[in-house]
Amino acid sequence: MKYPTAFDVIVIGGGHAGVEAALASARVGASTLLLTQAIETIGQMSCNPAIGGIGKSHLVREIDALGGAMAIAADQAGIHFRTLNNSKGPAVRATRAQADRVLYRNAIRQVVERQANLTVYQDMMIDLTLKSDRIVSVTTRLGTEIEGAAVVLTTGTFLGGRIFVGKQQHSGGRAGDPASLELSEKLRTLPLAAGRLKTGTPPRIDGSTVDFSKLEAQPGDEPRPVMSFLGSRDMHPQQVSCHITHTNAETHEIIRRALDQSPMFTGEIEGVGPRYCPSIEDKVVRFAERDQHQIFVEPEGLQTTELYPNGISTSLPFDVQHEAVRTIRGFENAHITRPGYAIEYDFFDPRGLMPSLETKNIENLFFAGQINGTTGYEEAAAQGLVAGLNAARKVAGQTAWVPQRHEAYIGVLIDDLTTMGANEPYRMFTSRAEYRLRLRQDNADLRLTPVGRELGLVPEDRFNVFTARRDRLDVCNKVLARTTVHLNSDLANKLSNETGEGISKDVSLLDFAKRPGVRAEHLTASGVFSDKDEAFLVQALIDVKYDGYLRRQDQAIERSREQMGVRLPGDMDFAGIDGLSNELREKLENIRPSTLGRAASIPGMTPAALSLLSVHAKRHSGIRKTA
Amino acid sequence: MSETICAVATPPGRGGIGIVRVSGPACRDVAQALLGFVPSPRIATLADFRVIDGEVLDSGIALYFPAPASYTGEDVLELQGHGSPIALDRVVSYILEQDVRLANPGEFTERAFRNDKLDLAQAEAVADLIASASAEAARAATRSLSGEFSRRVRELDQSVLTLRIYIESAIDFAEEEIDFLGDREQHDQLAAMEGLVKELIERSTAGLTMQIGLDVAIAGDPNVGKSSLLNQLLGEDRAIVTSTAGTTRDTLHGELSIDGLPVRLTDTAGLRLSEDPIEVLGMKRAEAALEKADCVLWVVEDADENAAPPEEYRVKTLIVRNKCDLTGSRPGFLGEESFRTCALTGAGLAELREGLKRVAGFRTGSDAFAGRPRHITSLKRAHGALLNAARELSARQGELVAENLRVAHDCLGEIVGVTTSDDLLGEIFATFCIGK
Ligand SMILES: Cc1cc2nc3c(=O)[nH]c(=O)nc-3n(C[C@H](O)[C@H](O)[C@H](O)COP(=O)(O)OP(=O)(O)OC[C@H]3O[C@@H](n4cnc5c(N)ncnc54)[C@H](O)[C@@H]3O)c2cc1C
Ligand SMILES: Nc1nc2c(ncn2[C@@H]2O[C@H](COP(=O)(O)OP(=O)(O)OP(=O)(O)O)[C@@H](O)[C@H]2O)c(=O)[nH]1
Ligand SMILES: [Mg+2]
Repeated sequence: MKYPTAFDVIVIGGGHAGVEAALASARVGASTLLLTQAIETIGQMSCNPAIGGIGKSHLVREIDALGGAMAIAADQAGIHFRTLNNSKGPAVRATRAQADRVLYRNAIRQVVERQANLTVYQDMMIDLTLKSDRIVSVTTRLGTEIEGAAVVLTTGTFLGGRIFVGKQQHSGGRAGDPASLELSEKLRTLPLAAGRLKTGTPPRIDGSTVDFSKLEAQPGDEPRPVMSFLGSRDMHPQQVSCHITHTNAETHEIIRRALDQSPMFTGEIEGVGPRYCPSIEDKVVRFAERDQHQIFVEPEGLQTTELYPNGISTSLPFDVQHEAVRTIRGFENAHITRPGYAIEYDFFDPRGLMPSLETKNIENLFFAGQINGTTGYEEAAAQGLVAGLNAARKVAGQTAWVPQRHEAYIGVLIDDLTTMGANEPYRMFTSRAEYRLRLRQDNADLRLTPVGRELGLVPEDRFNVFTARRDRLDVCNKVLARTTVHLNSDLANKLSNETGEGISKDVSLLDFAKRPGVRAEHLTASGVFSDKDEAFLVQALIDVKYDGYLRRQDQAIERSREQMGVRLPGDMDFAGIDGLSNELREKLENIRPSTLGRAASIPGMTPAALSLLSVHAKRHSGIRKTA
Repeated sequence: MSETICAVATPPGRGGIGIVRVSGPACRDVAQALLGFVPSPRIATLADFRVIDGEVLDSGIALYFPAPASYTGEDVLELQGHGSPIALDRVVSYILEQDVRLANPGEFTERAFRNDKLDLAQAEAVADLIASASAEAARAATRSLSGEFSRRVRELDQSVLTLRIYIESAIDFAEEEIDFLGDREQHDQLAAMEGLVKELIERSTAGLTMQIGLDVAIAGDPNVGKSSLLNQLLGEDRAIVTSTAGTTRDTLHGELSIDGLPVRLTDTAGLRLSEDPIEVLGMKRAEAALEKADCVLWVVEDADENAAPPEEYRVKTLIVRNKCDLTGSRPGFLGEESFRTCALTGAGLAELREGLKRVAGFRTGSDAFAGRPRHITSLKRAHGALLNAARELSARQGELVAENLRVAHDCLGEIVGVTTSDDLLGEIFATFCIGK
């Protein structure tokens, strides 16, 4: 049976990758179908009820700057907000929101339903059809064949998903949802490099059985941050506190005694789990000297008493979970509503993707999200946006758009994945970004909204908000540059008094602002700017004060851009290059970098080896014109 | 716009002139900073090479080739100095303080190649050249792998990594229960690393001088005993010695080794007002020798109380009060930079040799590292970044401390190989219990 209409782009899966993919594709004008197992689970947070965090909120702001849905949904569903790393500097400052699961899902579903060019259809994809090496249609469990010029696959942890609780195991995509088995088998017949990864989740606890008087309360931060450039505090629902408790020696003893029943230790799970997201049994074994581990007790929502105890992800048998949980302070009588579990699933080596996220081997088939070896809602959403956009552009005969490493965390994410692959589930950290000082939350819109507008991703109302903000920022910058602080003038005296910085000769306000003691409020207090400019000045001053660092990075960017321009031929004989160390030769043979820039990011690489590669690359390419 | 690169284009140590070549968009700025003007295109122009409004580093000919009509196809600035390795090093060091980095081996040619300034055959030759330069570098690296230098840089690289593990986890895992380092400890660690890098720079600079050696000119009034000093230092009768003033007309050379430090001596004509055209020519040569020397031995007669070298010399000058047998004063080191000698017997020369070793920053064999100029540049940049990190730490700018440490780490990586962010994260996960 054929579906009555054909689409430009079909997105499979209504998770975080799928939603942003479908929205992006539809925003740029492609007729788009979102095909997902269950419409109720569109925008479902499979694991912890939180959006953002260090490195992750940077991604969320970038998605937002490109017109995506995640940030506003977080503002509409956020019941507890925090600003992290406040004291360490503007570039690593981050925002985290605990989100009410139901409110978040509703917010996302509303955006999806209101998006023009976007159709939602509930069924499960089990098969696909290729014409030579190009995908042309997908087939559902009900036998419906749907034609699409491009397909974006975002099936998360569902492909061949297996759930483990102690020695019990069964197939499943996540608790309560069926796995995608037929599709997993179908994909394994195609030229795609499949592997297995695993992740886990903690048991959920009924809050009415918890003694909160024994827990340390952690209220949200004041002033309360917002996630989206279009967000405001009035959007936020009622705010609640999180709590903190700890495991103890008794908990650890129970876990240690039960290790032989943990599928991860008995070898039943082959998939590699994320090292920064270890299960509690992992922590107890690897850090045996610790006598306690922290648990953040997070509310699942406003309308439920269920709690998410962040820090005790486990796949131990249910009785052991029950016994261990009850040793924890405040949890003495706790009732587990859903046991914790581990899940193992298929992923595909992301080195098989082009930076556009189109698979190298099957034309017009794009991959995004957890199936590319990442973990996290934000990482999934970021890829979804890029894949959805590029699928639509491909169908429209346009070239792909992918931000570079110095432009966005999204660029870092995609470059890391497609270059290094994923040995474990990949999560974003700020330390992955070598141009961290410029990739800030505060300037994500300045970096991306203009190009987003050109691409068609950013609708007019958002763009107008942006230009108003940018124009005011420009005015502040111009005033800074053009104002001279004359020696002994009123202004000089006011500024000196405010800041405690001496002024011994005429100086431009810009140069004065570079001094460490000068802050935005000093400039408004001095009367040069009005109070409502303070927020703009805070941002302007970051760039002023970081000027030296940013310029040095510009040079590094330039160098890397040049190196990226030098292609290393696919059949380059690295072993035959005289002057390289054996260790580097071996790494080059294994990794086979496609450009000099990628070679530069190989551990142990030196400048001398790079120039050697560059010359060999050109010599290899043979035909050259003479000067 | 690409990066600007700079390097000495003549082999170290030898040659009448030394060429420093700069290529890239910053050439005009470099010319402005170093010469005070941008020379007219393709016209050899005499100029002083100096620090902005300050000390003259060297002087010579400056040539400017605007892109694309240049060797590399980019803007090129060529500075032909007097070739003393130390003078050239100072010029290069100064240029590297501008927006310029040291060229990789063969990089000028590589750029020429990329800008299609070479044909295929030339390019093949270049590839081989770079391969051999790089193979040589690789051999040198393996040689020093077991060596003290490499061990020290690796140790330092490891300490930077260790500190970064703490600093980066304090940023990326701010909410975890990690025993983060206090400011005091970070400060102490930074100070210790800074000290280590400084020592490495000194010792490898000394090592470089030990390889390249020292150019020493002997100068002074006629008949003070310059040629006798040359002969005595060389231990052979190289120069004619007579009691007639104006005996030496041409410059004379000799080489010796002081405990392994190569020293190239140049005896010069005594400087005085003269009508004799041959003597005048000799004195011209003497002046040229003085220009390119790393150090001048200014010889005077011990009896002459007020004897002092002309003030305009900018090279390091040691005063040698000769013929002390005639005054009956004791030969030896007089403090500051003066020595008393007798060139007939050799008395006081042992102390003078020690003085030359000090000028070279001499260290005993095991103490000096076989530093390469590239390594020294990387170390200097690492040093600057560590100083900045300490400054930002005092200003409590966490992410800027981290940025400077990253730069320092990358600089050390240029010597021992880069550490990627993924390596760093791996170390963090191995060190701390992180995660939810
Ligand atoms: C147990 C568990 C623990 C986790 N722990 C963490 C954690 O601690 N930290 C963290 O950051 N992340 C964690 N995650 C990961 C996080 O949930 C994912 O990274 C994120 O949801 C991935 O988004 P996605 O869009 O790629 O896939 P998903 O959110 O998994 O969405 C996949 C979608 O595809 C649909 N689908 C699947 N197959 C088909 C098909 N054949 N046809 C149609 N539709 C289909 C599904 O119904 C679903 O809507 C965990 C996930 C699980 C399951
Ligand atoms: N007594 C004494 N005579 C010395 C000493 N050194 C050199 N003389 C004598 O001084 C005279 C000049 O010596 P030279 O070595 O030729 O001097 P010079 O400085 O090279 O002279 P010009 O080449 O003419 O400039 C010779 O007769 C030497 O023997 C010394 O230390 N003591
Ligand atoms: Mg003489």
